Amino acid sequence: MVQDLLSRLGMQLPKEFALILPQVQLGIFALGILLTDFLLDRKSRWWNAVLALAGVGFSGKALWNLRNLEDVSAYHSSIVVDPFAVFFGFLFLISAALVILLSVRYLEIEDEHHGEFYALLLLATIGMMFLATGSDLITLFLGLETMALSFYVLTGFLRHRKASNEGALKYVLLGAFSSGILAYGFSLMYGIGGSTNLARIAQAYAERSPGDPLVLISLVTVSAGVFFKIAAVPFHMWAPDVYEGAPTSITASISVASKAASFALLLRIFCTAFWPIRPNWEMVVAGVAVASMTIGNFGAITQSNLKRLLAYSSIGHVGYMLLGLVAGTPDGFKGIAFYLLVYVFMNTGAFAIVILLRREGVIGEDIEDLNGLISRRPVAAILLLIFMLSLAGIPPTAGFIGKYFIFLSLIETGHYVLAVFAALYIAPALYYYFRVVVHAWMREPGGAARPTISVAQGVALAACTLFILVAGLLPDRFINFAGTTLQSQFLQMILR
Amino acid sequence: MIPTSHYLVVSLLLFTTGVIGVLTRRNVIIVLMSIELILNAVNINLVAFSQHLASLDGQIFAIFVITDAAAEAAVGLGIIIAFFRNRQTLLADEMDLLRW
Amino acid sequence: MLTVVTFLPLAGGLLLLFVDEELKETIRRGAMAVAVFTFLVSLDLLAGFQSSPGEYHVYQFEEMRHWMSSPPISYHLGLDGLSLWLVLLTTFLTPFCVLCSWHGVDRRVKEFHVLLLALESAMIGVFVALDLFLFFLFFEAMLIPMFFLIGIWGHERRIYAAVKFVLYTMAGSILMLVAIVALYSQTGSFDFPVILQKLVSGRTTLTMPTERLLFLAFFAAFAIKVPLFPLHTWLPDAHVEAPTAGSVILAGVLLKIGTYGILRFCLPLFPRASVEYAPYIAGLAIIGIIYGALVAMVQPDYKKLVAYSSVSHLGFVVLGIFSLNAVAIQGAIYQMLNHGISTGGLFLAAGMLYDRRHTHVITEFGGLATPMPVFASLFLFVCLSSAGLPMLNGFIGEFLILNGAYLTNPWWATLAATGVILSAVYLLWSYQRLIYGPVTVEKNRELPDASGRERFSLAAICVMALVMGVASPLFTARTEATVTRILQSEMTRNTRYEAVQRPTGAAVPVSVPLVAAGAEGGKAGRP
Repeated sequence: MVQDLLSRLGMQLPKEFALILPQVQLGIFALGILLTDFLLDRKSRWWNAVLALAGVGFSGKALWNLRNLEDVSAYHSSIVVDPFAVFFGFLFLISAALVILLSVRYLEIEDEHHGEFYALLLLATIGMMFLATGSDLITLFLGLETMALSFYVLTGFLRHRKASNEGALKYVLLGAFSSGILAYGFSLMYGIGGSTNLARIAQAYAERSPGDPLVLISLVTVSAGVFFKIAAVPFHMWAPDVYEGAPTSITASISVASKAASFALLLRIFCTAFWPIRPNWEMVVAGVAVASMTIGNFGAITQSNLKRLLAYSSIGHVGYMLLGLVAGTPDGFKGIAFYLLVYVFMNTGAFAIVILLRREGVIGEDIEDLNGLISRRPVAAILLLIFMLSLAGIPPTAGFIGKYFIFLSLIETGHYVLAVFAALYIAPALYYYFRVVVHAWMREPGGAARPTISVAQGVALAACTLFILVAGLLPDRFINFAGTTLQSQFLQMILR
Repeated sequence: MIPTSHYLVVSLLLFTTGVIGVLTRRNVIIVLMSIELILNAVNINLVAFSQHLASLDGQIFAIFVITDAAAEAAVGLGIIIAFFRNRQTLLADEMDLLRW
Repeated sequence: MLTVVTFLPLAGGLLLLFVDEELKETIRRGAMAVAVFTFLVSLDLLAGFQSSPGEYHVYQFEEMRHWMSSPPISYHLGLDGLSLWLVLLTTFLTPFCVLCSWHGVDRRVKEFHVLLLALESAMIGVFVALDLFLFFLFFEAMLIPMFFLIGIWGHERRIYAAVKFVLYTMAGSILMLVAIVALYSQTGSFDFPVILQKLVSGRTTLTMPTERLLFLAFFAAFAIKVPLFPLHTWLPDAHVEAPTAGSVILAGVLLKIGTYGILRFCLPLFPRASVEYAPYIAGLAIIGIIYGALVAMVQPDYKKLVAYSSVSHLGFVVLGIFSLNAVAIQGAIYQMLNHGISTGGLFLAAGMLYDRRHTHVITEFGGLATPMPVFASLFLFVCLSSAGLPMLNGFIGEFLILNGAYLTNPWWATLAATGVILSAVYLLWSYQRLIYGPVTVEKNRELPDASGRERFSLAAICVMALVMGVASPLFTARTEATVTRILQSEMTRNTRYEAVQRPTGAAVPVSVPLVAAGAEGGKAGRP
């Protein structure tokens, strides 16, 4: 769109411009929303959402045109558009679209329906997409900060809710702290590599001895920063608080898109620069993964707030995904990609149910608020069951296929103990997911009203459910899609 | 000329100060300032390496980090103000609404 | 054909979803029609089944379709003598589950029947799936309807029982999943016949430690399901809390899935490990037989009594399987069917009592023979069939198992035989306390006798028990080929390993009597 317009005006853009067109279009729409917001009165604010969806759509179109590219570097090789970037780009756009659909009604009920919300969401998505395409420390850092800063504000978006204030404050303090640590690690990587380009840094790391203190400090600081962003134990403390405080649709976005983006960053760094020193971190990552599964799954058992419960469960899921990195095989990476793709739908779906419970005067986040959902709104209860089964990893849902690849990669590489650990943690996970189901299906409704489902929410829920079932029953196409990430050069290099 | 390692030591000290500040101080404003210290440590590192390696990348990076620090401070202070309005406190250990 | 039988109940259940919730009678009739129709269709399997298939037709009614390429799962269904009878057992029992819930279930009727039919589909799927992955899928899919059946329509502590049931089963089946994936990484296939072929032909060999671990992982999943002592603690809770239909399905079919899995997967895939562990497992089975019987004897709650009797009876089945000869395995298969029929009948009877008095406590009853004579006589028949009276089904199974166990180890048979005596004790004693004697509670005087529907259910069970008791060749003839095949794959592989080991001078001593007993048993098993 933008390109057509500019070329019609006689302006010639560099060829490279097409590569960042998805981000540019998001940016234009984000800024456009800030302008149009002034023109809309209270009742017609939902036009902002339409505009935001249009932005996501155009951006998706531009990204679609890039889908067959193989590793094109641009802008002095500060970005690289490869199948990995395209895959993650779609992931972020899907998540953004779902979150926009879920937000309209929610924000109206919260009485905080402002255009900035959608603008910030799109800006955050830009940051994520740069995280996925960046092949240079500066690009990665800026992408990360664009995303993080937008989310700090979005978390505190419900200005009048104390929980939202507090969540945002914790998020900004701990987030900025972790960014600082990460930046310190980046500065050391630059010093070691003599360049901010990841490929060159990787060469420099390969030549250094693995015990070099600079190498170790950079490894520790960068890992700490990244683990913080994906909420892996022991850097997970912020997650439950922020998840609980943030507006629920933003919680969905933080737990899904922000996590996927941070995983893109993690894979980019660990599979390029840090790959030569793999023996140094393999066991550490395995330990972090096991600790995350332990804390996440056992922490969730005692929670009575649904958002906190899902926060702990998401910590557990991070553990599973990290195990794919420990295995480090094609199946492992494919597993991470597929897991994240499924996670977008199943976790957003679960939060969507929580959003349904929010009504005037009812926060609807407590597990008791689910009681008797089956008689109040059977569709919601059935969908909740599907999401919970998928999160727990029970076939024939898509969540199971994701876990399957992780198990397979672990067994292929002889990590039997880890595989058994990962498998056994399904039992506590099942316990707390079923606790949610028990409340919705088996407890008597306490006189609570019937939750209503708006059209936009219905579309989002239908999309989530359809994906989970289709990808669970006929996963071939989706697995191939996730498998395209393996075509990226940086993964080809290490898998060869 | 001062060798690069000296800069690194200074930066490491600054970084450690910042980390300790974040972990021990109760007032959120001071915590925010400590984070700025960490980012300054990063900048020293970047500029020192840039000089050492005779490449400009580091200085460009440093400028971006400074920008980011400013943005972070702006957002952080904005959120702190919103928090203060609702709660009338700036102490980290009084942020106890969300706890398990 | 198998696809039709498998998914017919589910399709019927989905159709029921469109019926208005208020039309309870229509829903019940509809569910009944679906269940009966499925049974009739499944009878066609019996008609078309060939008792002595050729060398290349191990599985009949085979269906094979590509499903997904990564993980490479095929939609592979097939039927052999073992699964044939279990499928029929499932389709036979389901109509009675609908019947016995006619009055018992009055709340959320539609959901109940939809879930019941979905459960039937999943259970049939478990028995006919030949792809390990597909098997696992059905195995898990079974849990969810059962969870709701117990959790929604159960008694006071239903949620606790439902969650306990799911967690126990899940914990085992997850280990099995890891083992399935590990087996895949060794053999490159999820298809059970392909894997077996690779292992039997020696193209893929498992090292002994791997085989042990894989065996244990598979076995753990099935042992929990059986349930083998000491993993049985979920069973009494689940049974006591479940609604009648749930108990019937649980005892009648779900427990068989454990023993079915052991026979289908553990023995053929891991012959060395199963020979190695056989004595220990048989020991646990014997403990289970005696322990289950003793505990059953002192239960004040009738449903709990039947639940513990299941532990005891399933102990027989496991003992039969791990006696590792044809007679005992034939007996084990037979006992699986018997237990499905007899215990199903006992739970039906318990449900009828519960419908009248809303309690399972034995002392609340007594002297029921006076107000309910028809019920009393049919109930006695069921009790006797469960206790193993000659001419009835229970006798044949227990006799074959004891016979086979004696061939392997006389002591096993001797100890297990006490279980037979004890089972007669607790069943008849409880019968006496329920039915005979003076009427102690006034309310019981007024109880109505069995209604037409109840008479029909119990009578059908009694007829089946009698048929199975006098016409056992009808059944064993069709399972014989399967049993021989299981033992053959077991023997050929063990002898081959022996041949490999002999030059080093370390023969496997256990497998010698096994081969002898197996050959002998092959003859004896032919009635």
